[in-house]
Amino acid sequence: MSNMFVLFKPLNVIVTGVGGQGNVLASQVLAAAAIEAGYRVSVGETFGASQRGGSVMSHVRISRDRTCGPLIPKGGAHLIVGFEPLETLRILMDYGNPETVVVMNDRPNYPIGCLLGEEKYPEPDLIIKAINKLVVKIHVLPATDLAREAGNAMAANMVLTGALSGCSLLPFDSRFFTGVIDTLFSGDVRALNMKAFEKGRETVQG
Amino acid sequence: MNQAVKGPGDLIREVLEQNQCTVCGLCVGMCPYIKTVSQKVAIIHSCGLKEGNCYKACPRTGINLPELDDMVFGQERKDQALGFNRGIYFARATDTAITQAAQYGGVTTALMAFAVDQGMVSGAALSGGTSLSPRPVIARTAREVISCAGSKYTAVPTLTALNKAVGEGLQCVGVVGRPCQIAAVRKGQALSRTDPSARIPASRAGLVIGLFCFWSLGFDFYRYLEEKAGGDEIVKVDIPVEGLAVTTAKGTGVWPVDEIRPYIREVCNTCADCTSEWADVSVGSTEYDPAWNTLVVRSDAGQSLVNRALEKAVIEIKPYPEERLKILRKAALNKKMRVLQNLDRPGPEYLTVPAEYLSEIKQQWEELQS
Amino acid sequence: MSIFGVGLDQPGRSVLLTGNEAVARGAIEAGVAFAACYPGSPTAEVLPTLAQLGEKFNIYTEFSTNEKVAIEAAAAASFAGLRSLTICKVDGFNVALDFATAISLSGNKGGMVIMVGDDPNAHSSIKEEDCRFLARTASLPLLEPATVMEAKEITKFAFELSEKIMLPVVVRCTTRICHASGDVKLGELPTAEKKASLTRDQKFVTTPLFSQFMKSKIKNAADMAECSPFNYYTGPENAEKIVIACGPSYNYALEAVEILGLKDSVGVLKISTTWPLPENLILRYLKSAREVVFVEEIDSFLEDGVMTLAAKYWDEVGKVKFYGKNSGHVASPKGPFAGELDPDVVTGCLGKIFNAHYESPGLPNIKEARDLLNNNLPGRELALCAGCPHRASYWAIKTAVELDGRNAIVLGDIGCYSLGLVRTGYSLLQSVHCMGAGIGIASGLGKLDRFQFKQPVIAVLGDSTFYHAAPQALINARYNQSSMLCIILDNETTAMTGHQPHPGRGISATGQPLGKVEIEAILAGMGIPVTVHDPYDVEGTTEVVYKILQETGPRALVLRRACALMAVKGRKKNRVYVDQDKCIGDDCGCARFCSRVFACPANIWDAQRGRASIDEAVCNGCGVCASLCPQQAIVVERTV
Repeated sequence: MSNMFVLFKPLNVIVTGVGGQGNVLASQVLAAAAIEAGYRVSVGETFGASQRGGSVMSHVRISRDRTCGPLIPKGGAHLIVGFEPLETLRILMDYGNPETVVVMNDRPNYPIGCLLGEEKYPEPDLIIKAINKLVVKIHVLPATDLAREAGNAMAANMVLTGALSGCSLLPFDSRFFTGVIDTLFSGDVRALNMKAFEKGRETVQG
Repeated sequence: MNQAVKGPGDLIREVLEQNQCTVCGLCVGMCPYIKTVSQKVAIIHSCGLKEGNCYKACPRTGINLPELDDMVFGQERKDQALGFNRGIYFARATDTAITQAAQYGGVTTALMAFAVDQGMVSGAALSGGTSLSPRPVIARTAREVISCAGSKYTAVPTLTALNKAVGEGLQCVGVVGRPCQIAAVRKGQALSRTDPSARIPASRAGLVIGLFCFWSLGFDFYRYLEEKAGGDEIVKVDIPVEGLAVTTAKGTGVWPVDEIRPYIREVCNTCADCTSEWADVSVGSTEYDPAWNTLVVRSDAGQSLVNRALEKAVIEIKPYPEERLKILRKAALNKKMRVLQNLDRPGPEYLTVPAEYLSEIKQQWEELQS
Repeated sequence: MSIFGVGLDQPGRSVLLTGNEAVARGAIEAGVAFAACYPGSPTAEVLPTLAQLGEKFNIYTEFSTNEKVAIEAAAAASFAGLRSLTICKVDGFNVALDFATAISLSGNKGGMVIMVGDDPNAHSSIKEEDCRFLARTASLPLLEPATVMEAKEITKFAFELSEKIMLPVVVRCTTRICHASGDVKLGELPTAEKKASLTRDQKFVTTPLFSQFMKSKIKNAADMAECSPFNYYTGPENAEKIVIACGPSYNYALEAVEILGLKDSVGVLKISTTWPLPENLILRYLKSAREVVFVEEIDSFLEDGVMTLAAKYWDEVGKVKFYGKNSGHVASPKGPFAGELDPDVVTGCLGKIFNAHYESPGLPNIKEARDLLNNNLPGRELALCAGCPHRASYWAIKTAVELDGRNAIVLGDIGCYSLGLVRTGYSLLQSVHCMGAGIGIASGLGKLDRFQFKQPVIAVLGDSTFYHAAPQALINARYNQSSMLCIILDNETTAMTGHQPHPGRGISATGQPLGKVEIEAILAGMGIPVTVHDPYDVEGTTEVVYKILQETGPRALVLRRACALMAVKGRKKNRVYVDQDKCIGDDCGCARFCSRVFACPANIWDAQRGRASIDEAVCNGCGVCASLCPQQAIVVERTV
């Protein structure tokens, strides 16, 4: 685990998906965990009017010693967590560099243009191939299915949060995440989210 | 029939925009893009298809008379006035509950209620509701059929109920309709014979009872009717020879027939079928004895329905007086002659009347004049 | 992220807060007693945060019917000596402006803060407006935080400033503050008792006679700004090149200077007291500067202020070149006066101005990747949510309008249903302006019959907008007998900003039952005939709309059905699926109606099978598509 760049520059993580997928919560759990681990954090959210159907993207910037602006410069993402293939690729093309690590859910969420039949959603396998051309490291996981196994498809966000915590890029370990999940939820929902988180984490660590 | 590929765009241009829609209801509900309200039919959203069953099954995009005759009866007509038929009778229902609720002899209601009751059809598409707000109804029991008794006089899109019933899974649906609606059902059936993959709900129509109809009234008629009723609940509306009769709890008022002429729909002026020539049986008034109906038995299916109904004494019949038959044929031919004269002028040409039919019509018309 | 963090009594601890939560925490630390708001993005979450902590910190919170009422209610608490907060978005500040321009003359007593959200790039707005001009028009001082942490500190300070100079203080937060989050170091919680007191001899009178007094208050604020800890400079001494920035743009500027390697030659002056400006502080840096760049969001407010200053002190400042929105040098991809800034935009602008070059790392194989997909990356346009009752309403209204055939005019308003402008709402709406404007316009169109205007007129608006801005326009329509149909899409909440309650819900900001203020009762009181229908019954709704459309005069229809997102919360959803044997897909008789035309995000198309399908993860189980499917191929398994 290389922490060197964190001392000088922020670690830049982008969580991206479509409104309603729970990606904002994932970025908030990451940010809160980082603060608990003693880092300074800036999170920038970009979401639209009715918050549904549009692209939603969170920029999480984790720094040892400074407050960063809420947005990551183009090409500056170290880690991109995608809740949906198309958005993952789109964001990667803007914010990725060859070193960027990608964690991605394999389940597509179709834009209205594709539903209307005017545009065609690219084959998810083709998207994965394209991402492989751009970056060295990509973790594709069936987050929605894993979440369903854990008890609820909506917990895909915690599966992906587990995956991002498990991909060896963060300068702090997963107990900071579970600590945050523990304070955020209670009862059955807590158990469900913990289970989903662990499933994601295990999958990436393989 | 039309050979060219035609669809909803053509339906708009040739039928809807030309005021040629009869509001039969056949195309409504066959797809989600055609809707109806208050005797209006509109394509509310373009489906994007060039070719469509809406155009092909519409009774106003072309009717081939000999073809339909052949499909329904296995032979062509001899009688150009009333179409193919096996017998014409005075008839009435035996159940007084029906005759009281019904317009004249209650034969339509009695036959359809009987067919439903006997399982000859699994339900029926009818015009129900009140005089002021009639609506298409799916009747699944004899009782539901009886609750729809009584003439409506306006253009109820009954066939939407047929489409709906088929959508709900009913396999063999009875239909009571105006001549345009009967023609639409038969066109739909013909279409699904030539193209079995076409999804035409009308192909699941069972017994078809056609009504006599010389014209139907437009939507504005309701306002007129409301005015005449003076706010009282209307019990019955009738249009005998004397004029419009509106019965409320306070009694019956009669107004001259000329008052309702303005409400006759334009599209009815180009209709040549006033006795539902492709029905299994047709039913109308006698214009003579309000306790009886005119019953025209046409197809095999119609004949067997009538036979069974007579067996069970659901209806009773008596011979049709010769002089009355002459009057009926004259009225039907008169309408045809007028429409055909209209057709000589440029205008809608939904009727393709073969030359031999034409000459027979003229010949039979001449015979009746003598 | 959590109420937990906002309410913690652990001074010195860092917690993750959103900008909106940071403002709430700042207000709590300042001892706020009264908060009133009409919700508007991006500031909608401030009041709900305070409401949840209201019991703990003895704060009264309310959702007011509109921003003018909210600011007046907040002023009342201030008059009674309490610290009060009102929160709005800039569009709402327009509504409150009439009162704001008056209170600067009358003055206030307890510290009063007006938090205004500006929305550069109109992420959740229909226009980009700069509230700083409004604050200046109203003669109210304005502060601008640059980070989430500063949002808390500045809010807290604003209360003190307000009490010192006896004027309400505006805190301007852009979306990049409100919706951002970051580590916030918690401060001490107040201990003083909150007690309201307003004696008979205390007067708050608006009169032009006080204008000079008001100006001197602003002068005081300017003097205090000179030594404000929120204004500071980083960079070389006596720099010839400086950037003056405010708000989150300050961090973009810092990062850009760093990326461009200009740290040794370019200084960055951060200003948080944007109005009135600290003249001496700015002059100090202007005197050495030869090139000045302004980096700020929406309009050229700071730029105009500093340039006026330079003109005023031209003999001291000397020859300076200014770069900013006016010169066109600082511009988002949408232009200098539209869109928003980000680190890339600012890096690009500064690079050009200061002749420094930078290339982002980028992806060498991007062309190959694009070619692999034939450059096909479908965009994502906004859509009404799965199960949204507005979609059902719009389909019914569209159907009725088409059946009517008289080219009815359909006017829109502000809310989720503004999406009726685009395809998800069948592009039904022809106008959208501001809260309630649809009815005002309808009321005008409905009087054009004498000029041969015969088309029916429909105004569509939401329930929350109804309470906010409709009554006056409706009274006008009724009074003047304008022929228009007002359709209220009542989803029983203020959905767009996050389901805040309103008078029709009958619960308070804290969830206490208050009794409903019924829309029907209001309309009946006005003498406007009203019908209520459930939009999920699309066929019935179509008939009702058609029927009412045939009538004349002012009339109303309430289409009532709870927001689908609210309805499914904590409940098991109905299961909806497509019977693959019944679905006819592309054929005549359907032509992919559910996925292609009705276009609910849950109605997806299985291209391989050529059949419709339901995305169960997205579907909210309303079953409207099932009622519209011509083949009755969609099955709804009800959970109850």
